[in-house]
Amino acid sequence: MPPKASEGPEQPSTASSFFTVPPPIKKLFDKFPLATYPANDLPQRSPSRRQGNQLFVFSDAAAARKGRPSFNPQCLKWQAYLKFVGIDFEVTPSNNHASPTGILPFLIPSQPIEVANAIPSHKLQKWAIEQVHCEEEQQLNLRFEVYASLLDSRVRNAWLYMLYLDAQNFDAVARRLYVDPATSNTLVRTTLALQLQQAARDELLKTSRYIDVAELESDAGNAFEALSALLGDDDHFFGRPNPGLFDASVFAYTHLILDESLGWKQNRLAQLLRGHPNLVQHREKLLRFFA
Amino acid sequence: MVLQLHVWGPAFALPSIDAQCLAAIAYCSLALPKGSWELVASSDPSVSPTGELPALQNGAVWVSRFRSIVDYLRQYSKGAWDLDNQLDETSRADNIAFSSFIESRGQSLVDLYLYVTSQNYYGNTSPAYGNLLQWPNQWILPPKLHGAAKGRTEHLGLSSLDLQAMEDQRQRDHNAAVAAGKIPKNLIQRPRDTVSSFLGRTAQSNHFRIEALTGEFFEPLEAMLGKKAYLLAVDDGETPSSIDCVALGYLSLALVPDMSFPWLRDAMRAKAPLLSAYTERMRQRCFGDAPVEITHAFSPESAPVSPLTWRAPGRISVTAVGSTLLSTLADSTPFLREVRKNNALKKEAQSEDSGFSSTEKRAINAHAEASKKDMYVSIATVVGGIAVMVGYMMQVGLLPFSSGEEEEEEEAQETDFGGTDLSQLAAASRNL
Repeated sequence: MPPKASEGPEQPSTASSFFTVPPPIKKLFDKFPLATYPANDLPQRSPSRRQGNQLFVFSDAAAARKGRPSFNPQCLKWQAYLKFVGIDFEVTPSNNHASPTGILPFLIPSQPIEVANAIPSHKLQKWAIEQVHCEEEQQLNLRFEVYASLLDSRVRNAWLYMLYLDAQNFDAVARRLYVDPATSNTLVRTTLALQLQQAARDELLKTSRYIDVAELESDAGNAFEALSALLGDDDHFFGRPNPGLFDASVFAYTHLILDESLGWKQNRLAQLLRGHPNLVQHREKLLRFFA
Repeated sequence: MVLQLHVWGPAFALPSIDAQCLAAIAYCSLALPKGSWELVASSDPSVSPTGELPALQNGAVWVSRFRSIVDYLRQYSKGAWDLDNQLDETSRADNIAFSSFIESRGQSLVDLYLYVTSQNYYGNTSPAYGNLLQWPNQWILPPKLHGAAKGRTEHLGLSSLDLQAMEDQRQRDHNAAVAAGKIPKNLIQRPRDTVSSFLGRTAQSNHFRIEALTGEFFEPLEAMLGKKAYLLAVDDGETPSSIDCVALGYLSLALVPDMSFPWLRDAMRAKAPLLSAYTERMRQRCFGDAPVEITHAFSPESAPVSPLTWRAPGRISVTAVGSTLLSTLADSTPFLREVRKNNALKKEAQSEDSGFSSTEKRAINAHAEASKKDMYVSIATVVGGIAVMVGYMMQVGLLPFSSGEEEEEEEAQETDFGGTDLSQLAAASRNL
């Protein structure tokens, strides 16, 4: 029996060599966690704090607060359209990484509040029609899609060249708007700038073997001529009493091309555009919506 | 001086396999007097200094792309060979807008139809190219065009027409399922799909998307044409304009070819009967009544009487073959490709007849220089990165200095393998 009694204290010690951690490591892990912090608050700009609809676009904070036009044509198109049909919304500066589809703009409606109901840009028109029962303009005129293709192909290609591939403009405009706000790291900025330019170049080389600047510009000039003839003496395209989606699409490019505050170094498109006074006036009238 | 129009050669009973070439042929056939121009099925973009077809050659002057050719013909003939001189302001605007519409939408549909749809590409388009190209282009060009067409239509989300892409996707899903351990390995049976069951499935899932795309394309054109003879004719006018040529280029590729999976032709006949009749009418007027055979292009004496005058293309020379092979090799080498792209832009600007003003030339040159600098920066970054890594490895001791005895020692272990390779690579890239 005495041996048994002496075994009693021994047994846990042999077991400890298998089942307990060695003392130095145990000492180290006893110190964890050093401190537990309370969970962070949601960012100031998080949706739950705001009441209205929120449109996420490329913009900077100051301009967004005042509801100024975005500097990205796609974003500006939808921003202008929602304004024209009379939907209230707030503008939130954002970037591609924030979007569920990877594309800006997108909108988070105020009602109903769910997490997964961000509306991507290609469904914005349908949403707007449900909200304010405006017309679906594509159905009203067969020329809508036809003339819209001028903006989507010819004007867009010339825009891509002017903004991204013209070296002076890229340094003065695109770098300031798209690259610098993203990061302060020089290496990342350089990479980002190269990626942007390469993406623009690839996009232009999809349809041709080399980039012919003169042709891009003359195509854009033709497109402006056709749009000017389509607008004629009317206030809005297709003789509508109120501006609509087509006006928004045209405004998105004409405004940015004519906007001196962006700091263009070379602006051949503006020269071409000024040859059509009705398009310039059209832009000025619509700009009042943003005042 | 007889003008020569260089195009991609005939296929599918049409004088060319490319929509832009068909448009240019139609324009020349309508605007130019017979005998003042001839058609050369050179089928090789490298014949033209611009590297593109269609290309119009007038002695030493080369003009490529449809719109530039139209402009050049107007200037060259001092306004006589111009189909658009009758148009008023509204029609001119329509002319511009509709050609942009047809070129952007029509190109996507033709790309999907001839190239992306696998059974059409392997069953019809690829053999057609095989017939009209000479060695070694028949091995080089079709895959290039195939890839380019896939790239252009990627955003439409119809890659399921592409059986190969589908197969790859399925393989990935399959591997993912295996990797996730959802299915025990020995229970996985590779589902055997026959081509027809595959088609049944993809045809169904694509149906709505194709329906929408073709509707968007054909409906405005059908409404625009109405009962008229030509797209822009005002009151039964008998004069076609350049927009009719563009329309013919794209619509005839949709309507005429006899494809294995003729979804575009079916859609066109169902949605746009007037447009189909118009395309057939235009085709007979521009390209002649008899279907164009490939032999017409290579031995013109066998061709029947038609609005088209063929001239046999020159035999491909040894130097041309060599330069094609070299440029293909250069294009598939990572850094060289960038250099060549930039040089293409620069060369255009410097050539005499490019029509750029001196400021524009300077701007383009500056751009080409800038992008060259960009490239050097990226090369330098890569080289620097590798050098830093090698340095770090040496410092840490992963990569010992290879003095004699150590080398022997290291040869026994295999770890040195990656190390020497890396340092060689770094040295090689420093030499660039």
